Amino acid sequence: MQRSLSFEIFRYTAIALFLALSLIPTLWMVSMAFKPIAEWQASGADLTWWPENPTLDNFRFIFGQSASELIVALERTAGRPILASLLSATFGTLIAMFAGTSAAYGLSRFGAGGNLPLALVQLRLFPPMAVMIPVMIMWAFLGMIDSWWGLALIYGIVTLPFAFWLMKTFFDDMPREIEDAALVEGCSRWRVFLRITLPMMRPALASSALFIFILNWSDYLIALLLTTRDWVTIPVYMASLSSSMTGQLYGAKAALGLIAAVPPVIMGIAIQKQLVRGLTFGALKE
Amino acid sequence: MTDLTSSLPTETAPEDQGKSESARLGFWLTLPTQLLVLFIALFPILMQLYISLTDWSPLDGIPWYRAYELWIGLLNYIDLWNDPRFWGAMWRTCIVMAICVPAQFLLGLGLAILFVDEFPGKRVLYSTALLPMMVVPAVAGYMFFMLFQSGGPVNNILSFFAGSPVTIAWLSDPNLALFAVILSDIWQWTPLMFLILLAGMVSVPQDQQMAAVLLGASWWRRFRTIVLPRMKTIIIIAIAIRVIENFKVFDNFYIMTGGGPGVATETISIHIYKVTQQDLIWGYVAAMALAILIVLSVVSGLAISRMRKAS
Repeated sequence: MQRSLSFEIFRYTAIALFLALSLIPTLWMVSMAFKPIAEWQASGADLTWWPENPTLDNFRFIFGQSASELIVALERTAGRPILASLLSATFGTLIAMFAGTSAAYGLSRFGAGGNLPLALVQLRLFPPMAVMIPVMIMWAFLGMIDSWWGLALIYGIVTLPFAFWLMKTFFDDMPREIEDAALVEGCSRWRVFLRITLPMMRPALASSALFIFILNWSDYLIALLLTTRDWVTIPVYMASLSSSMTGQLYGAKAALGLIAAVPPVIMGIAIQKQLVRGLTFGALKE
Repeated sequence: MTDLTSSLPTETAPEDQGKSESARLGFWLTLPTQLLVLFIALFPILMQLYISLTDWSPLDGIPWYRAYELWIGLLNYIDLWNDPRFWGAMWRTCIVMAICVPAQFLLGLGLAILFVDEFPGKRVLYSTALLPMMVVPAVAGYMFFMLFQSGGPVNNILSFFAGSPVTIAWLSDPNLALFAVILSDIWQWTPLMFLILLAGMVSVPQDQQMAAVLLGASWWRRFRTIVLPRMKTIIIIAIAIRVIENFKVFDNFYIMTGGGPGVATETISIHIYKVTQQDLIWGYVAAMALAILIVLSVVSGLAISRMRKAS
């Protein structure tokens, strides 16, 4: 629809204002990540908006190299938490996708599952904090406290509703003629699912998996409760990065925050088209 | 676009191949999910119910299944009913919701109106606007923690406008701390409202609007009588999602303030977390968690059955 020039001016001004406000927090963290210690320790009037002497010292520091001006050396470096985040989020995604995809196919094609869809909605509804006592007891009993596989299992269950609902909408959208043709040709149901349906669903599987990976990667609370030392994830490790000698290690934390923020942002942009579907449980497709 | 509940009823299997093969396949396909749901729902809830009737704590030195030795019946539930800190946390969670959700909705709706038709640069600006939502919430909490330090950038900007140094201790003043954590939530989740509302707005058919334009209807009138009514389901979904997520809010709040100063920013999730980790009275936590689960189940059950009836 044709709009007037004054509306166009208003539109760009309003969007620019909104984006400026919305980018400040992120830009501040990026700036802090590249500041040398003297600059990130500055406060009040000495504050600089942009690093005057940009450096990678903060990144070197969290990976174990001693930074020249910081007396402390890290007892534990960022490598292990990054590995923990990667492993738990990846395998959690695999669990959710495996169970969710097959259940979604079972429901979409054979009407199996009974009350499962509703149960999964409710599972999503409950705050994780409200089942954490039994989970902590069970995980301790199974020897899964402070392990990446224990985290992966709970991540898989927590994000299962998303995998299920996303894949269900994709299966519902898929035309059945191709499957039916293969059945007439004499393929078994299993073969049709594994050889025809799943390969056709590759883009849907990929975007669902990325969406679920973002959710798993973003967790803080569950890892805080279920890991203690060896397999803490990035957010938990980041929160522990402060010492009595230096106070808050702003620069180091900002560097780590940047590392944590980059993967989901890239993946989120990659699956932008499917975000609405994912976030609304498949109720809304773009 | 379909709403949640209309996709719930099961579709009948295709007629061919015999029902038994389909049924068997359906069973095996849904089995892993069924097992995982049982594993995380049924057993933990029974365990939670059992523990909630005892005074058990992991420090007692007896395993959880022998918690009956510390049986106290419904005492935990009575304590919960009379616990001002629990109700305070509930109340605070409601306040946070009552501010965040409308603010996110109005900002998201306004932004969606600006983005609904084509204009140069739309794609880039759209992607940029979604950025906050993709930041890990704990990291977002840390960003705002840095911004609101008394020697930090927010005070720096305020000093610039005030002309003299401003040193407000945002995160150690109860009211300001609540304001700061609410701001971080609005910052992070307005894009989600925007994303969903824009998708809904785009799907409103153009023809009626065109007809209304020809009849000389004002923009506001078209918006109010044609666009908004058609977006009703989407608006309900978007608000429901944020209400649910806001009820669970933990990460950014806990990173920014740890629930403090005092209990000024202690939402229900932070409250349960603190009682779990610091007070370690797990029997009491179990009672609290179960009470919340029961209330949520009833409320959500009612909401879903109403939505089903409506559609």
